Amino acid sequence: MPRAGLRLLRSLTYKSVMSRGNAIFLVVVVVIVLIAVGAASILHNGLSAHANPTALEIMLARNARHLAIPANARKLQNPVAETQENLRDARLHFADHCAICHANDGSGDTMMGHNLYPKPPDMRKEETPNLADGELFWIIENGVRFTGMPAFGGEHGSQQDSWKLVRFIRHLPQLTDEERMEMERNNPKGPGDREEEQEENDFLGGAPIQQKPEGEHHH
Amino acid sequence: MKTKLYAVLAVSVLMTSVALAHGDKKHVIGTLEKINADSVVVKTAAGKSVEVKLVASTMYVSHAGNEDKPAKVTDLAVGYRVVIHATPKGETLEANEVKFSAPTASAAAAKPKS
Repeated sequence: MPRAGLRLLRSLTYKSVMSRGNAIFLVVVVVIVLIAVGAASILHNGLSAHANPTALEIMLARNARHLAIPANARKLQNPVAETQENLRDARLHFADHCAICHANDGSGDTMMGHNLYPKPPDMRKEETPNLADGELFWIIENGVRFTGMPAFGGEHGSQQDSWKLVRFIRHLPQLTDEERMEMERNNPKGPGDREEEQEENDFLGGAPIQQKPEGEHHH
Repeated sequence: MKTKLYAVLAVSVLMTSVALAHGDKKHVIGTLEKINADSVVVKTAAGKSVEVKLVASTMYVSHAGNEDKPAKVTDLAVGYRVVIHATPKGETLEANEVKFSAPTASAAAAKPKS
């Protein structure tokens, strides 16, 4: 082989090794920088539940949840009929057990919901309605690990109640104002909440206005 | 190479930044002073005027004789008593629920003089 050809071959091999070396170096730098920034962020800010999960965490968590549900559970059919009576039972059950985190309308717009990590989903939107009846039932019965969702199964008669809840979750996008107000009356309330509600109703009923600091209060 | 490193650093910082959420509801209680197209102004007991935005998801509840009934935004009128449960959104308040009642004769008579 002529010398010029050999020189060109050596130069090309050297360049390709160098560019591969650069790429590996860049990847190592990216990984080190990400770890360093992540560690600095944790050391500085801690891991607060106020934060919103990143897209990567959401993707990983959804896949983990999908894997956690047995394949045969997904195929289960709801044995409970969609009657007014069953929907009402589920509505009141949801108001009593679930609304503290999920809100009566399933939006997750509650103090608990805002401060959980991960936040409960808006159950009226794509992600929840796309789950099969069997998946929703399994989640209610078994909960979701590493989230605020407890396992409600195990008690006598709970399966029937869980299937009714599946019916109600499907009904959430059509929840009427009357249904929501009925649920509000059945939400668990502490003495402070009851007192506040009574004060508000008294005020609406014509009682003199109770002056609060800055004219507002919150919970 | 330096430019690449700066770009990598910038992307890394952006990826690890997190948004903080704050979700406390506020209750605004008082009488309706003004009704605008997309907000109401409430005069509170402290004499402060508080503006609350009305949005598509705002629920309206009419309270009469200890009974609550679903209502519409058009049922509101200036001078009505209101209890608004609202969510702070930046500098503004967004109404989740507006519960209201028409002023009773006795309440109107007991209204403090300004």
